Amino acid sequence: MSKETEVDIIDQVVSQEYKYGFTTDIEMETAPKGLSEDIVRFISDKKNEPEWMLNWRLKAYRHWLKMEEPNWQNFNYPQINYQDIIYYAAPKQKIQLDSLDQVDPELLKTFEKLGISLQEQKRLSGVAVDAVFDSVSIATTFKDQLKEKGIIFCSVSEAVKEHPELVKKYLGSVVPYTDNYFAALNAAVFSDGSFVYIPKGVRCPMELSTYFRINAENTGQFERTLIIADDDSYVSYLEGCTAPKRDENQLHAAVVELVTHDNAEIKYSTVQNWYPGDKNGKGGIFNFVTKRGSCEGKNSKISWTQVETGSAITWKYPSCILKGENSTGEFFSVAVTNNAQIADTGTKMIHIGKNSRSRIVSKGISAGKSHNSYRGLVKINKKALNARNHTQCDSMLIGNKCGAHTFPYIEVNNKTATLEHEASTSKIGEDQLFYCNQRGIPTDVAIGLIVNGFCREVLNQLPMEFAVEAQKLLAVSLEGSVG
Amino acid sequence: MNLQEQIQHDFRKYLAHENNDSSEIFAQLRHKAIAEFEKTGLPNIKNEEWKYTNLRNISSLSFNSSSDISNNAKKLLNENSLNAIKANHLVFINGRFYNDLSNIIENDKSIIISNLETERKNNSVHLEKHFGKYAKIEGEGLNAMNTALLNDGVFVYVPINQKVEHPILITNIVDATEFNVLSQPRNLILVEKNSSVQIIENYLSTGINASFTNVVNEIFVDENAKVEHYKIQQQCGESYQNNFTQFFQNTSSNINQVTLTLDGALIRNNLHFYMNGENCNSLLYGFYLTEKNNHIDNHTRVDHASPNCYSDEKYKGILKDESTAVFNGKIIVHVDAQKTNAYQRNQNILLSETATINTKPQLEIFADDVKCTHGATIGRLDDEQLFYLQSRGISKDSARRILLNAFADEIAERIKIPELVQILEAEIEKKL
Repeated sequence: MSKETEVDIIDQVVSQEYKYGFTTDIEMETAPKGLSEDIVRFISDKKNEPEWMLNWRLKAYRHWLKMEEPNWQNFNYPQINYQDIIYYAAPKQKIQLDSLDQVDPELLKTFEKLGISLQEQKRLSGVAVDAVFDSVSIATTFKDQLKEKGIIFCSVSEAVKEHPELVKKYLGSVVPYTDNYFAALNAAVFSDGSFVYIPKGVRCPMELSTYFRINAENTGQFERTLIIADDDSYVSYLEGCTAPKRDENQLHAAVVELVTHDNAEIKYSTVQNWYPGDKNGKGGIFNFVTKRGSCEGKNSKISWTQVETGSAITWKYPSCILKGENSTGEFFSVAVTNNAQIADTGTKMIHIGKNSRSRIVSKGISAGKSHNSYRGLVKINKKALNARNHTQCDSMLIGNKCGAHTFPYIEVNNKTATLEHEASTSKIGEDQLFYCNQRGIPTDVAIGLIVNGFCREVLNQLPMEFAVEAQKLLAVSLEGSVG
Repeated sequence: MNLQEQIQHDFRKYLAHENNDSSEIFAQLRHKAIAEFEKTGLPNIKNEEWKYTNLRNISSLSFNSSSDISNNAKKLLNENSLNAIKANHLVFINGRFYNDLSNIIENDKSIIISNLETERKNNSVHLEKHFGKYAKIEGEGLNAMNTALLNDGVFVYVPINQKVEHPILITNIVDATEFNVLSQPRNLILVEKNSSVQIIENYLSTGINASFTNVVNEIFVDENAKVEHYKIQQQCGESYQNNFTQFFQNTSSNINQVTLTLDGALIRNNLHFYMNGENCNSLLYGFYLTEKNNHIDNHTRVDHASPNCYSDEKYKGILKDESTAVFNGKIIVHVDAQKTNAYQRNQNILLSETATINTKPQLEIFADDVKCTHGATIGRLDDEQLFYLQSRGISKDSARRILLNAFADEIAERIKIPELVQILEAEIEKKL
């Protein structure tokens, strides 16, 4: 391939615009800017929360005041002014809806533009969607069908009212509000999120899904998701995000907690495509998320799959605490960064139970001036007999101004453990490109093929409906014709 | 008095004498270093680079700077198994150079194999040009501490187009028979264009008291020069060591570095390579065998600052008892260091339930046309391999030994001095 075409293509790739940038004009009911105990009370009051919930929020807020922002990460971000954020914004829709017909047509249009029309989804794919538009859930489908099986799938605010015993027991049990700076902030001001409870012996008949969308200007999103899989149950949960174009950085500090009991399994998939900022890194979302799962029971399993293509900064480590005997943790990740994007992501696998196993597959692709880091911890405790881990992290570099970094931490306190860690970093293969060119495949298509092949191992883990979207997102992020 | 106070006290003592020796070329550097040391202090576990290695035990010790050495040190020197190697032998005890115990056999007068103090008295131009230029003190409290109170160490100068016939053997002994000892060797090795040299650093100790050896090595390797560098650490008892080695490489230079850590209560090795020119080759290999509650920490850093360089790293360890090993390998590929090839491996065998290993093979890459891989494995002896050998009539003990020796062999192969290989093998035999 001649140097010139290569440069052209890289230019083209780098100059790709964010295709999903638009805003929806809907009246908002918002809290005043800033954060104080009064704001925490305001949020709690708006949501008609019981006393114990408010107290929990206040405890978190007071703890947050004592904490300092972390500074160990491998990147810099502009100082966040926490007093300049609106912590509560809800679309003015107060009536509970039974069918999609009652939803504001503006909203439905937004979803249609994103290609995730609720009707379409409902009819074709059998996916129950709990759509979170900014902060309050507005439409929940397939609820009745799930009810029959005894599955609870609702917003957290609803769960607080209707299933307080479950929320009290599990909220903050995996990610306590003392965990880290952003988790504490989330605990104090979380607006809403999804709550899932799968009862004993139930296999959830469909993929559960929430679409997140950041909409109001200067609105930080503080989602809180809690999924509990009781003994012998199974659930697959999808999370996907797109956000409209914005010039100011928006903070997103979500918390996701997963709990699995004996023989239960949770599969959690994410496709993230928030606004990454423009070519020079102006604007874009800060995605600082705490995701953690706890395998409490014997033979339990938690599997994280993520495709991260958006956000100015992605900073998250979906983790598994493998407490139960024979428990399994998995982490599959594709992180694509372009232009001035930054990704500092990876996982933590904490082995506590006997015969616990974990597997990590991470694929990082950096283009433009972006930096992509894998940071992971595998820890084998003294009591975790016969623990097993295999880690593979590969990076691909496109263009000579980007960076790829790996920071794997491995801590072993037990001789019966077996661990392997492999990593490689390389340029997009010139000989592979040549091979494709020689067979009449133009370079941009070839790049697409190679990138898709590079990520296949991870993309294969995604549920079918999502795999298609994920491939599309890779295409948007890197090259028009990928996939 | 804790260590930090002691260093500051010793520095004031040095200042009182400074007037007698105001021409000292190190004076300026010392002042800079003490200021840095006061600012940075000793590293603690809040520092990410020191997360797994706690110097608490060292920082609370108080040291005596007595110059007397006991017969034990001489005995240890005579029994040293490395004596079998025909070499230029330099002996340092508690950081001081002992000319009468040393033996230089090199005939070529243009090659300087000496100590820093002598070189300083000769007003050497080399010192002015190279000293303190490679091992950075900013943010490195221990390097600053070494620089502020630097006393003596090895000085080697190999001029252009020369080959040093016999290896240079540097024996560092700490004699803690009567007191706690603080020893701070400072070595400077300069290898000019097209020259080659073999260097062996050997660390020994005697006595029941504690000792802290804080070494800084600066090794300058010019164009097309070749250096083989071996480090053997076998200090016993309550001996602590921090060993900082900075290689600075110019175009087409070759380095083969092997670190063997066989004993020591707490050892921290910082091995840094900076590739300043194209086509450099850096090979770094290490083997560590830990027992009791020893702690060994290997931090390596390879700066690929120029294109077309190659580095290969392999560290292997066997851990016994309650010992702890730490490995942190860093490969940094700078912007525009295209066509870099860098490999990194860390493999560990745990022989006891209570041993701990923390490993972190790390890559930071800022160029695109590179091939970098790293890997780490941790495990125990393979039951199937043991069974295979046992089923052929080999006792379990011998089978274990065969497997462990085979594991260590990969590093032993990298040693080009046969006597050293024998010592390594004997030591493994003894420990297992």
